[in-house]
Amino acid sequence: MAAARRGDRPVGAVRLGEHLCLGFGSEEERRAVVGRFVADGLDAGHKVVYLAQDDEPGAVLDALGGDALRRAEENGQFVVRPIVRAYVATDRFDPAETAALLGTEVDLATLQGYGGVRLTGDTAFSLLGWPNEQDGPGGVCRTAFAAPGERAVVLCPYDRRWFTDEQMTILRAGHDAAVRADDLYADRVLRISPTFTPPGLALTGAVDESTLPAVLDALARYAGRPGHFCLDLSGLEFCDLDGLRALLGAGEAGTRPDRQVVLRGLPEPLRAMARLAGWDTIGTALREEPAR
Amino acid sequence: MMSERTTTDLRTLHHSALLYATPGEFADVAGQYVERARGAGEVPVVIAGGEATEALFDRLGTAGTEGVEFIDAAAWFTGPIEALGAFHEHARNDWWPRGPVRLLAEPVWTGRADRDVREWLRHEAVLNVVLAGTPTRLLCAYATSTLPTTLLRDAARTHPLLTDAGGTRDSPGYVEPARFSAECDAEPLVPPPLTAARKVFASGSLPMLREFLAYQALRHGLRDSYGFVLAVNEVATHVIREGGGHGAVWLWREGAELVCDVTDPNASPRDPFLGYFPPHAHRHAESRMWAVRRLCTLVEIRATRPGTRTRLRVRVP
Repeated sequence: MAAARRGDRPVGAVRLGEHLCLGFGSEEERRAVVGRFVADGLDAGHKVVYLAQDDEPGAVLDALGGDALRRAEENGQFVVRPIVRAYVATDRFDPAETAALLGTEVDLATLQGYGGVRLTGDTAFSLLGWPNEQDGPGGVCRTAFAAPGERAVVLCPYDRRWFTDEQMTILRAGHDAAVRADDLYADRVLRISPTFTPPGLALTGAVDESTLPAVLDALARYAGRPGHFCLDLSGLEFCDLDGLRALLGAGEAGTRPDRQVVLRGLPEPLRAMARLAGWDTIGTALREEPAR
Repeated sequence: MMSERTTTDLRTLHHSALLYATPGEFADVAGQYVERARGAGEVPVVIAGGEATEALFDRLGTAGTEGVEFIDAAAWFTGPIEALGAFHEHARNDWWPRGPVRLLAEPVWTGRADRDVREWLRHEAVLNVVLAGTPTRLLCAYATSTLPTTLLRDAARTHPLLTDAGGTRDSPGYVEPARFSAECDAEPLVPPPLTAARKVFASGSLPMLREFLAYQALRHGLRDSYGFVLAVNEVATHVIREGGGHGAVWLWREGAELVCDVTDPNASPRDPFLGYFPPHAHRHAESRMWAVRRLCTLVEIRATRPGTRTRLRVRVP
């Protein structure tokens, strides 16, 4: 199953005028990315419209959480609209009507003095009509939201567990870009991204004298979390000995009995290095053997 | 009957040089030495060339060589650190679990450049420190008829004990390993050639340094440069973190070797045995230098005025 791709845009980098998709693999991933999209919108002074499955905003607020969100809901910057009303006021889905509805939201927000509108919601809104649509999943979304205008940005979440890779490709192609969770760290040398299935971190690039502090910081931030934790190292092109030691020892700080750190995709040269340095036995992290 | 010195101090390595004049003398002394392993419950290992191995076989017979592990000297003594690493791997996984090791070694000297001879002698001295306290007994064979006198003199200076047909006794010429190692360092390094490629580095510029190293390595015929780049990167990291904070590398080809100098404007505190001890889980600097030494055929660290120069050599296959 295709997870976030390299070309995907961090959700923190979205701009008004875009129609974006998120292929999430777990509810936690959806909450993380949509939550960030919403929070960034509130910070930027945008109005955030959330299309929910239920009429009850409480469930949405509970799922996304945060006092700032509650305050925004009270003062009207964050609004929850039931999907049913947005789409099928006339018992029949009409893309043109939905697009017009978005236009109305934008006009209203502009009158209210907001700098823009962010539209997102539960996964059901972008999937309405599937699988009966003739042109594959996401047709609704393509017809209704493809051109949100200069003052709006739309993020459509798709549960990628329901789709084949091919269908996901079609879905992505119907949007300006796919987004993923923000990186914990990114510079020209190293990128540290959160992963959700399994939960953990993916390291891409090089761990060396300059990027080691970021790695230690990221590991420390995740140290106290309950549950198993995966470090995906398949994108690691270079790692010095201090870095390797930190990765092998990941999980030693704040070790909990219910927690196992798994090192996945440790490149062969790094395995050889660990043997050379005599580190075959250090660390509590479980080193997965590469598949042969 | 040959007497064996019994050392009461377990921290002193039983490391003896067998200076023999004739093949017969070698077979007598070495044969007895190996035979003693059986009664003592020791693990006998012979690392020698073809002739010496044959002489031992002749002397001990099939029954006498049973249980003796024979290893080809040419394959074993490829480089001092490689040999030390191989010793630790064998000893930890196989020999020590079965008992104390009784090793007979015939170091290789023919065809070695002066620099390599010096490093192999240093290796003999370093063993006294690195293997002290381990259940290990070493006897190193030196042929007095073919080896140069200076080498034989240094054999007596690097081995705390001397063995011949008459028995084993203290070596009067033995010098402390740290002092011997310092003597080895007295020979200055030849400066890099004018054609050497040069690049400076500081904090944050190691990605560029690695790119430069990989490119230069490829230019000089080293295709798989990961280990080489890693080794230089580690030394440079050490300069940035513990040394002067910035430095330079010089890189050139010398025969079948790729050579790289890393300079540090600061003089690093000199531990003559840094990187010779097999890594210990919580000694970072040692693990780093051990890995660096294992990644290279030779690592030389010299004090310069001012600073420190580390020269790394790797073979270009």
